[in-house]
Amino acid sequence: MAQRTYEVMYIVDPETPADRVEKLNEAVGKVIEKEGGTIVRMDDIGRRNLAYPIEKKTEGHYVLFEIDGSGQEIAELERRMRVNDMIIRFITIRVDEDRKKAEKMRDKRETRQAKRARFRATEDSADAPVEAAA
Amino acid sequence: MAENFERADRPERPEQEMDFADEGFGDKAPRRYQRRRPRQVVPDYVDWKDVDLLRQFIPERGKIMPRRISGITAKDQRRIATAIKRARTMALLPFVFD
Repeated sequence: MAQRTYEVMYIVDPETPADRVEKLNEAVGKVIEKEGGTIVRMDDIGRRNLAYPIEKKTEGHYVLFEIDGSGQEIAELERRMRVNDMIIRFITIRVDEDRKKAEKMRDKRETRQAKRARFRATEDSADAPVEAAA
Repeated sequence: MAENFERADRPERPEQEMDFADEGFGDKAPRRYQRRRPRQVVPDYVDWKDVDLLRQFIPERGKIMPRRISGITAKDQRRIATAIKRARTMALLPFVFD
């Protein structure tokens, strides 16, 4: 099964009491684990001002999950989030591909830099005319 | 061509022409947007939650800065743009500033 990494973020209605938010987060975790996903990271970011009002609210309680899984748990989770009144907005982003790409780019840059450093070292030891030509 | 005339009444244009004069393009008609800003460093992984980074690419109106102004590569621009759009749906960034 293809293993993927997702970031799931949702905004909870700021009027819900803290213990209910906690319960909600627990429930989300349970859904993920039941569907075969694993939670890499769970981050309760907390209250934050919204950049624009959503459902006439100017504040929101942000929660971020990082999930490893096949995608099945995401389908179930999204379905449940959609019907939950406490959650006013949610987003799921697949991050594993972009991260892999970023890693590749970093590796490429590092090898290039290493090459360049080696070249420069030989240039310094060589005679001056080499540098004048370049 | 028609586009160029339209741009003529934009406020930022005279300033940019002066920039070109400084560069010493001589008697040649200065090409617009030829000079780019110094390359901005875009990280390998553009995190859509990194509001501070993304804010550098949105001027006060809240629009995404065009590539001719930001001066970053096309690839980076695409990544920044999608990240901004993602941040917008989660109300981390505004769609418009009034």
